[in-house]
Amino acid sequence: MSSDHRASSSASRRAFLKLVGGGAALAATPFWRTRSALAAEPALETEFFIFIHASGGWDVTLWADPRNEKRGIIDPATTDNTDTSHLHKWVDAPHDDDVKGFALVRPAGSNIVFGPGIGDLAEMYDRLCIINGLAMNTVSHPDGTAFSATGRHLSGGRVPGASVDTVLASELGPRQTFPLVSVQFPSSYTGDGLDRRAVPLRVGQIGSISKSLTRAGQYDTEADRDAVTALLAREATQVAATSSYTDVLQGMSVQYDGLRRMLAENLQDVFEANRLKKEHPELDYKARFAGGGAVNAAFAIEALKRNVVRCVSFAMGGFDTHAANYRFQAEVQQEFFEMIGTMVKQLDRTPHPTLVGKKLSDHTHILVVSDFCRTPQINMAGGRDHYPNNSALVISPRFKGNQTFGKSDPDQVLPARARKFQDGERAIAPPDLLATFVSAFGISPRAHFRDGEVVPELLAHA
Amino acid sequence: MTPRFVAIGTLALLAVTGCAHPAIVAATPAAAPPARAAEAQDSSPKADLRLVPAEAYVRTYLQLFGGLDPITAQQRARGGDGGALFDTWEDYLAALGFPDYRLDLPRATQTNGLMMAAFERLGDALCDRAIEHDLKGKTPVPVSERLIFAFDVPKGPVVDLEAFTPRFDVLHRTFLSYPARLAPTDRTRSFFELYTAAVARHAAKNAAKSRFTPAEDGWAVVCYGLVRHPEFHLY
Repeated sequence: MSSDHRASSSASRRAFLKLVGGGAALAATPFWRTRSALAAEPALETEFFIFIHASGGWDVTLWADPRNEKRGIIDPATTDNTDTSHLHKWVDAPHDDDVKGFALVRPAGSNIVFGPGIGDLAEMYDRLCIINGLAMNTVSHPDGTAFSATGRHLSGGRVPGASVDTVLASELGPRQTFPLVSVQFPSSYTGDGLDRRAVPLRVGQIGSISKSLTRAGQYDTEADRDAVTALLAREATQVAATSSYTDVLQGMSVQYDGLRRMLAENLQDVFEANRLKKEHPELDYKARFAGGGAVNAAFAIEALKRNVVRCVSFAMGGFDTHAANYRFQAEVQQEFFEMIGTMVKQLDRTPHPTLVGKKLSDHTHILVVSDFCRTPQINMAGGRDHYPNNSALVISPRFKGNQTFGKSDPDQVLPARARKFQDGERAIAPPDLLATFVSAFGISPRAHFRDGEVVPELLAHA
Repeated sequence: MTPRFVAIGTLALLAVTGCAHPAIVAATPAAAPPARAAEAQDSSPKADLRLVPAEAYVRTYLQLFGGLDPITAQQRARGGDGGALFDTWEDYLAALGFPDYRLDLPRATQTNGLMMAAFERLGDALCDRAIEHDLKGKTPVPVSERLIFAFDVPKGPVVDLEAFTPRFDVLHRTFLSYPARLAPTDRTRSFFELYTAAVARHAAKNAAKSRFTPAEDGWAVVCYGLVRHPEFHLY
């Protein structure tokens, strides 16, 4: 990006912040002028992001939008369909003869009512911002996954927009060693308003990064490799100068520079599963369902602590319970949310890498989403199928804690009207949540998302 | 008007039009329209450069390694000498951008930092093993049977650009498929500087231990630069 462009972008961001502060319409900022200008604003380079995808579609009636009574088409979770033996927050409540339902979970002081799947994360109620009644308009895994992360439905099987983690990496992290590491998260790099350095590093597991960063020491030296990489960065820039299309070559040039930084910082151990486990014993790697996800959580903490990654995104599976495996849905949720809780506590204990006297958690922003939710009815196989409603969780100092926004209807658990938007009264939808999320960091949603409206009620300082 | 008069008139008209010799107009070439402006034909590419698919990269890599199958190439690259030059293909597939349908990971169609790291790891292994094969065998390998360094490699370092140029050209054609003199940058000189700096580093008194001589290190570094060059990965 040229310095002129950066300057104009920077001015535009300030204009945008003023507009939000004054409650003016977002549309006043031309989208093309709001492209990343982070190099000019190092203050925002202190923020970190963790995006988590609960892959398969979770049952919101077990945690965020709890239903413990048979009403309308709702068959609530009971001892008949749920294995409750390992659930910390399941307290039997009368349901039907010998079959027990669950008591709602509401810690003292909490405005949020949870289901037992939330586990011990419920104790952090004052930091949780729950969004219920998210209108998904889909029951397809790939579509719901893309919609949750990008605010766009698939178009002919392709993801037509950039995902929220890519947007933030592009806006706030292009100078970071790794702007975005994505472990099975639906990260997508689409559109021309993004910094090429923010192309997601998408991998199946963290360990696969470590192997690519290993270097033999018996042939060439670090100085040799560094000289070659520096030459290639120059070559890419020079070839770009004679090319009709320069974007790809210039992108390679900055990636060569990024490689030099990666190797100079000896980052292999950040990406090595066994070393991560040793470094973060507080996480439960032997958990029945979240053991694999715990390695990703350890990576997130370590990478943020060392200030080498701006955004970490990962997914955890086990939520797609169509049949008898629904018995474990609540336990999967409990392990998942407790892993998040442990991660937040560790971030509380970890000093910020660049801000003296600040905790890492003061500047880390977590968004947890899923494909969609599950049917209110129990099917013939004892499970729940796909349903076009959803919930999401935000843990961020820039979002209001101890609040639930949005709702679903009492009889069918379908998204209900949440507030008046510019296009009328309707339920909140993923594009609104994503627009609100990026706006919390002074980024104009219009620069990256086609749809969605900022919901100031979610923000700590609207 | 009487019918007789009409008939006579019709006959007269037929005689004039139908029986006369046809007029012959001589063909003359049309003059070219006067030029108002001249514009060169736009032959520039109309699409941005694209990343070579990961399959094509691996196939090329195997070809450069001597046309081996992936498992044999992996064994040769790993070697039994504790060189830690290579792990397994499985370890690099995601970084190289291969799709993983077990995990529903899409194909990477653009380079990223991790891919650059994998290119370096694999490229270094190829060049180091090629030096061992081509230049360090117990019996000298004829030029025609060499994998990469198919030119006369002097025992000592090449000291001038004139001697470096034809040798570099062989490597340039091998990896980038065209003569080095046609490169859009002053590539031969840049790589000669890279070569001489590497030779000097390894010839220094306090140089790190290496399995290669300083001259071999110089050629290895040139090889690294070409196998990782943007033109090797884009089309």
